Amino acid sequence: MDQVVFESVRKVFRSRPALFNWMGRERAGETVALEDLSFSAAPGEVLVVLGPNGSGKTTALKLISTMLLPDAGSVRVGGFDTRQNAHHVRRHVGIAVATERSFFARLSAGENLEFFASLDEVPRRGRAERIGEVLDETGLEEWADTLVMKFSSGMYQRLGIARALLKRPSVLLLDEPTRSLDAATTAHFWNTIRNLARQETSILLATHNFAEAAEVGDRLLLLRRGELLADRRIVRGESVEELRAFYFRSTGELDETAVAMRSVR
Amino acid sequence: MIAILDKLHAILRRDLLTFVRHRTGFAIIFVGLLTQLAAFYFLARAIGPGFRPGGVEYFPYLLVGTGLYTFFVMSTQAFLSTIQEAQQTGTMEVLMTTSTAPVQLVVLSSISAFAGNLVNLGVYLLAGVAIFRAAVNANLLAIMAVLVLSLVIALALGLAAASLQIFFQRGSVVMWLLSSGLWFLSGAMFPIEKLPQPLLWLAHWFPLYYAIEGMRGALLDGQNVRMLAPALGALAGFGAVLLPLALWGLSFSLRRARQDGSLSFY
Repeated sequence: MDQVVFESVRKVFRSRPALFNWMGRERAGETVALEDLSFSAAPGEVLVVLGPNGSGKTTALKLISTMLLPDAGSVRVGGFDTRQNAHHVRRHVGIAVATERSFFARLSAGENLEFFASLDEVPRRGRAERIGEVLDETGLEEWADTLVMKFSSGMYQRLGIARALLKRPSVLLLDEPTRSLDAATTAHFWNTIRNLARQETSILLATHNFAEAAEVGDRLLLLRRGELLADRRIVRGESVEELRAFYFRSTGELDETAVAMRSVR
Repeated sequence: MIAILDKLHAILRRDLLTFVRHRTGFAIIFVGLLTQLAAFYFLARAIGPGFRPGGVEYFPYLLVGTGLYTFFVMSTQAFLSTIQEAQQTGTMEVLMTTSTAPVQLVVLSSISAFAGNLVNLGVYLLAGVAIFRAAVNANLLAIMAVLVLSLVIALALGLAAASLQIFFQRGSVVMWLLSSGLWFLSGAMFPIEKLPQPLLWLAHWFPLYYAIEGMRGALLDGQNVRMLAPALGALAGFGAVLLPLALWGLSFSLRRARQDGSLSFY
């Protein structure tokens, strides 16, 4: 059975005009974030979600996590509908979002993880060991007792990943997970992704990084303005350049890097 | 049940650690409480011993009134700040994806905010008695009864503030009502019998009035539960209506925020 199923999902964000809108220039009306989106992810599959800014990648991940509810269609995780059985869905899903400041600044990394482990109902017996494991996995073990307000962007991002892994989710959602990570940590993280996939964890990874997509992805979803442009397998050994060319060809955007490279030659 | 207690423990621990690590804030709160007490002590002295509202000295009258009123305002403010901070940092959205039901999570967070301010209330009353020699004649059982029912009212107010904050980012409306709009209806500083008839009528629809009157009876006048039955009955009635209403409002606003994508708006 597929772990994640999107069926004809539509999501619209409405912006209501302010009372004195004539005084400013606030945009009012509707923004269609996702339109008739259908796809599924199998256990152990790494699904890479690509697309320009505003294409609906983060919205899709938030719909799976139950942060958002769909306006039409359905989202199911592990067979549970996110609207009807949100509580069951949340037990399955771990999420690491791109803007990782979502911690308690005056708690240490370890204390933050203890707090979230409790809310995620990680069994008390073995909780400390599990926290140690995820800290180790993300290379934060020596900063376990440091207050997170002293963390750099990259460390915040690592802690976000550690938090997402805490409850051993069967569906892992990652929004630009390596944006602030150094090269060594990124390489280690890609290994972690592959290991999790081998343990049947479904992984949805939204990224702008073609190297990441080529390195860990099994399948590629390409979104633009909330619509699905492509859903295809990533062939083992497919190069970064091939993925990049496919992306620009499909979205119709201009690849200025490629143009510049050609003019240099 | 064990899981809920585990979560409550985690939230209390988080709030306690955050509180003690704000080193100066820790001191400011206690200095602030003592300064407030001193101001009321000298106000009572300036007014003179002839003014005995409800047959008790004015300083103990102020001590209980302002202590309980401050408890309501500060705990609601503390809880609202927790919600606002979670919205600003993005923690709110992440918290809503944990295995804990969102309504349960907000209720547990509010209990933590109120527990902290309950300690402040205890320190305030003890300091009033120990340092400023307020005369008390306490009935412990009645004090507990008033306190428990007051907590239910405070919880309802806190949840209402949270609902408004999540629904249209204006939880401060409840704070305005408590701290400037309706404070004089609570009888915290003077007997409401001095108010004109329409306001006196309105004050009887304000649960804080019964909490303060009940606590004065239990702490200063030694009244037992039977003697306080009217105040306790009114508090129980308000609690029975306000708490389910606040829980429904919270559940509605959370669902609406998930639909609109406004969980982290502030």
